[in-house]
Amino acid sequence: MKLKHGSFLWYLYLDKLYCLLSVRNVRALMEYFHLLDVHRNNTLNDVLFYHFLRHVTDLRRTQIMTIFNMLDWNAVGEIGFDQFYMLVCILLAQENHLEEQFIFRHSRPVFELLDLDGERRIGVNNFNLYSFLFNIKKQELRELYHDFDITGDCRLNYKEFKLFTIFSMDKYQKRQKAGKEDKEKSLFRKKLSQINRSFLGLAVSQTRGGHAQVGAPELDTGLNGRRHGDTRTDSTDEQQQ
Amino acid sequence: MLGPTGAPGRPPVLSLGRGSGSVRPAILTADRTPPGVKSSRRGARSALSLQEDIRNLWTTATLSQSKLDVPLSNVCELSDMEISSVGSKTGGPRKGGHDSDVGWDESDDKDSFKQEMDEQTSLKLELDRGSSRGSSRLGEEYKTETDKSSSLSSISASKQTPHRAYWMEQQNRLPLPLLELMESEALEVLTKALRSYRSEIGRDHVLTQQLHRYIEGLKRHRNKRTHIPAH
Repeated sequence: MKLKHGSFLWYLYLDKLYCLLSVRNVRALMEYFHLLDVHRNNTLNDVLFYHFLRHVTDLRRTQIMTIFNMLDWNAVGEIGFDQFYMLVCILLAQENHLEEQFIFRHSRPVFELLDLDGERRIGVNNFNLYSFLFNIKKQELRELYHDFDITGDCRLNYKEFKLFTIFSMDKYQKRQKAGKEDKEKSLFRKKLSQINRSFLGLAVSQTRGGHAQVGAPELDTGLNGRRHGDTRTDSTDEQQQ
Repeated sequence: MLGPTGAPGRPPVLSLGRGSGSVRPAILTADRTPPGVKSSRRGARSALSLQEDIRNLWTTATLSQSKLDVPLSNVCELSDMEISSVGSKTGGPRKGGHDSDVGWDESDDKDSFKQEMDEQTSLKLELDRGSSRGSSRLGEEYKTETDKSSSLSSISASKQTPHRAYWMEQQNRLPLPLLELMESEALEVLTKALRSYRSEIGRDHVLTQQLHRYIEGLKRHRNKRTHIPAH
């Protein structure tokens, strides 16, 4: 899922630690919601919701209606600002690659959203239905149920789900760390190679003509086109002879 | 769908803010006034109240001395902090044979701190002397000192107040480019929604007409705003 470049939501951002909007962003979002609230019910019906998501994201119709059914937890055919806010946070988390952090920070609301039947357990099919929202692939989902379904009922209760969020958060942090270390290493290597090159240049220029010249050896030529090493004086030639 | 307590309910909403006891987004009550009128009214009301508050803040930027309550100790602390921050950032000119930046910064801070201490002790001494000589003399000296302190504090307050006024303005109002972006985007979404309404429930339906009126109102409001700067 990608947000449309230059759309209003595209300009919003989540706090990276708590995965929430700032108060100013929420205020702006409320204004936006009220612009879309045509019928003055403080809600958006399915048609308005569909056109809104279609306009700002690249989601398909089936995905949009799936999201609507998930958010319309009272089954009234409309969603209020609370649900709208949650949706925006989920979309922004995906846009900014903060899915693991978002699920970790808000494990309870996410669990409640995915628990469509209200049985306090999430089945594989339900999770699969909404996996596109949190960027979870099928293989990862299978591994999730394999590793964290401790009770063995092929469903995740809240504790098992929470464990999963902790592990995925841990993995995410390790990935971030590894990424940082790789960057630092490559920077360090670049600097080292630069230093080595400059030292080599100095050393080569010194061994050639006794002139302390700074620069790459291949550029070590004089105005007459001859290399500096060749411009020996008569005295040095006689000495060598 | 049942909530965690077994009663019909909805999942807990994401909490705003950084703690567990955080603020939920407030849901405004429904309003039957047409969108153009409502937004202009809302805008006018908020603009008026804003102007009053912000005007007060901006005018207090040039406060008289009597209205200031910043004690001298705070002013001295501020100046100390500024000096230390400048010292740490710039490092100052290097003295000959002085190796470490830290040592230079520390000596710089020490000098400034000494100066401040000297000023304060001299103030105290003068006050003590004044008490021994007579109350009127003390009063005069105290007045001059308080004038100095209040002038210092007025400078610091004047630095702070315009910033406060600026941020208050920013807090209470959405920037115009953002409003324009929101309105134009909402207009596009609602125009497409209107086509769906017409095809699914018909042109004569109440909701279709309501949406149509709303879109017209929004367009007029947007045109008014874009034409005003032109004229």
